[in-house]
Amino acid sequence: MLRTALVDARQDYEPVIHVENLVKRYRHSETAAVDGLSFDVRPGEFFALLGPNGAGKTTTISILTTTLAKTSGTVNIGGYDLDRQAKDVRQSIGIIFQNPSLDLNLTAEENIRFHVSLYGIYGYRPSYSMMLRSYRERVMELAQVLGFAGEIFKPVKTFSGGMKRKLEIVRSLMHDPKILFLDEPTQGLDAVSRASLWDYLQKVHREKKTTIFLTTHYIVEAEGADRVCIVNRGRMLFSGSPEAMKSPMVGKYLLLDAENRDSLRSELTGFGPELMEDGRLKVRFSESTPQDILSQIKTPLSFMCLHEPTLEEAYIELVSNGHEEEEVS
Amino acid sequence: MSIQREFNAAVTICARDVLRFVRDWKNSLLFSFFFPVAFLAILGGTIGQNMGAGLGYDYMQFALLGTVANLLVQFTMMGVTSLIEERENGFTQEIFVSPVSRYSILFGKILGGSLTSAVSLIALFTVSFAIGIPLSLAGIGCILLVTPVLFLLGGAMGVLLSGIFGSSPKAVDRATIMVMFPQMFLSGALIPVKNSTGVLSVLVHLMPATYLVDLLRGVFYQGTPAYGQVVLYNPIFDLIISLAIAIVFLVAGTYLFVRSERNR
Repeated sequence: MLRTALVDARQDYEPVIHVENLVKRYRHSETAAVDGLSFDVRPGEFFALLGPNGAGKTTTISILTTTLAKTSGTVNIGGYDLDRQAKDVRQSIGIIFQNPSLDLNLTAEENIRFHVSLYGIYGYRPSYSMMLRSYRERVMELAQVLGFAGEIFKPVKTFSGGMKRKLEIVRSLMHDPKILFLDEPTQGLDAVSRASLWDYLQKVHREKKTTIFLTTHYIVEAEGADRVCIVNRGRMLFSGSPEAMKSPMVGKYLLLDAENRDSLRSELTGFGPELMEDGRLKVRFSESTPQDILSQIKTPLSFMCLHEPTLEEAYIELVSNGHEEEEVS
Repeated sequence: MSIQREFNAAVTICARDVLRFVRDWKNSLLFSFFFPVAFLAILGGTIGQNMGAGLGYDYMQFALLGTVANLLVQFTMMGVTSLIEERENGFTQEIFVSPVSRYSILFGKILGGSLTSAVSLIALFTVSFAIGIPLSLAGIGCILLVTPVLFLLGGAMGVLLSGIFGSSPKAVDRATIMVMFPQMFLSGALIPVKNSTGVLSVLVHLMPATYLVDLLRGVFYQGTPAYGQVVLYNPIFDLIISLAIAIVFLVAGTYLFVRSERNR
């Protein structure tokens, strides 16, 4: 089914990521891992690239972060051409990898020091005390913000999973990237660490206006995204806002019940909303609000539950139905 | 400005390798002492006791120089190939996405590999003194004089392996071992190769380490009666061949590395 989600028709912006007809075919592979993907990401946008295993997410993010060459297509990141200005692209992005990228035997401060030295922000010095004062102040400030000022000089291997991820994020922001790529950043974290990490990421996104490009298997993490792009087998299935993805795919409904179910059923049938019986009475609504339906019911209710479709439900429906490309107009 | 920035990045990569080596000092020391003990004290000692008599020169001194050349080359080579082995884990991922030229990354890894492998030189000297191998200060000076060439060729071999097997950490690991052992046995490090003939002679001359071992011995034994018995070629010739191999490996390896790094 080909469907178009109307999300944002504004074209008066310069995309910070522009991908056009991107193709990646690995050597000795007959099928393309990424097969003609096209999308734009606006400055400051929170963009989520979702898809099942083998969909082409990691391949796409690897190409965008310059660690993998594309077969064909055009990619422009932060105003730089990926082929001709790879070094400038690298300078303008920050990356949180799927696998942790910290040196566990080194301290948190040493991990940060190596990062800023590689990015040419500060000259490398063999000890913290020999680094410039501005660096020392910045590191201490960040450590305070993250709540591990006391641990900044301790080996990273003593940190919890959540602290390590936060440290990676702080480190990746040290060179003020325009775009932060997050490749399954919460993989392996417990629920509390995940929530805490997302609080921090939302804060960074809000305060620094950093563009966030996320891939994740936890679909709930993309609920707050400005736009989601669903890929499968290297092709785009959908591109649009989470709301646009949810509303037509899985309807909202009320789950109702009453001691006198027959009376409730006849009432509901009388004023016409779509009604299904699924243990209880399932009343679908789209145009009307639940208030419209509830205000017309006279039968005393014994049960009421409002069901809002989740992004995950919409995602599962979309991917399992194998829908064809969706495009934002 | 850009050159200064690239140099700073190379120094950073080198400093990281050194710091990791120091932080993990127990394993580092164990690794640095294991091979000198295994190759020089145990293997060399056994050969020396059973076959070293009547050679006309001190076999253990001969073996020490061969082991120095081989181990420094191999440790430097492994320092560089660790770039590939760790590419999908740890901080190495960070290095690959940083705005640093691939040439600077390789340069930094060669520097880091050289400095950390230098510790094995101290281990070799310690083992030598412990088992009574005659080694004067002048002799140590001769060895130190040649070490930059050993580091250079070891680094160049690491760059070549990284270039050829850049996309496969496992392949690099296997290739390193497959390069390491033939070098050790065919370069004349522990077993004299002066009288090798036929296929073995061809293989001896194909081993880059042959020229390094011979260069080290040529400098060390200069002006001594043993020179004619242990040295194959004039040290100048060995130096030219070693530098030529290093340049070819560096150029080809860097080209292949830069190409393979993104063309997966």
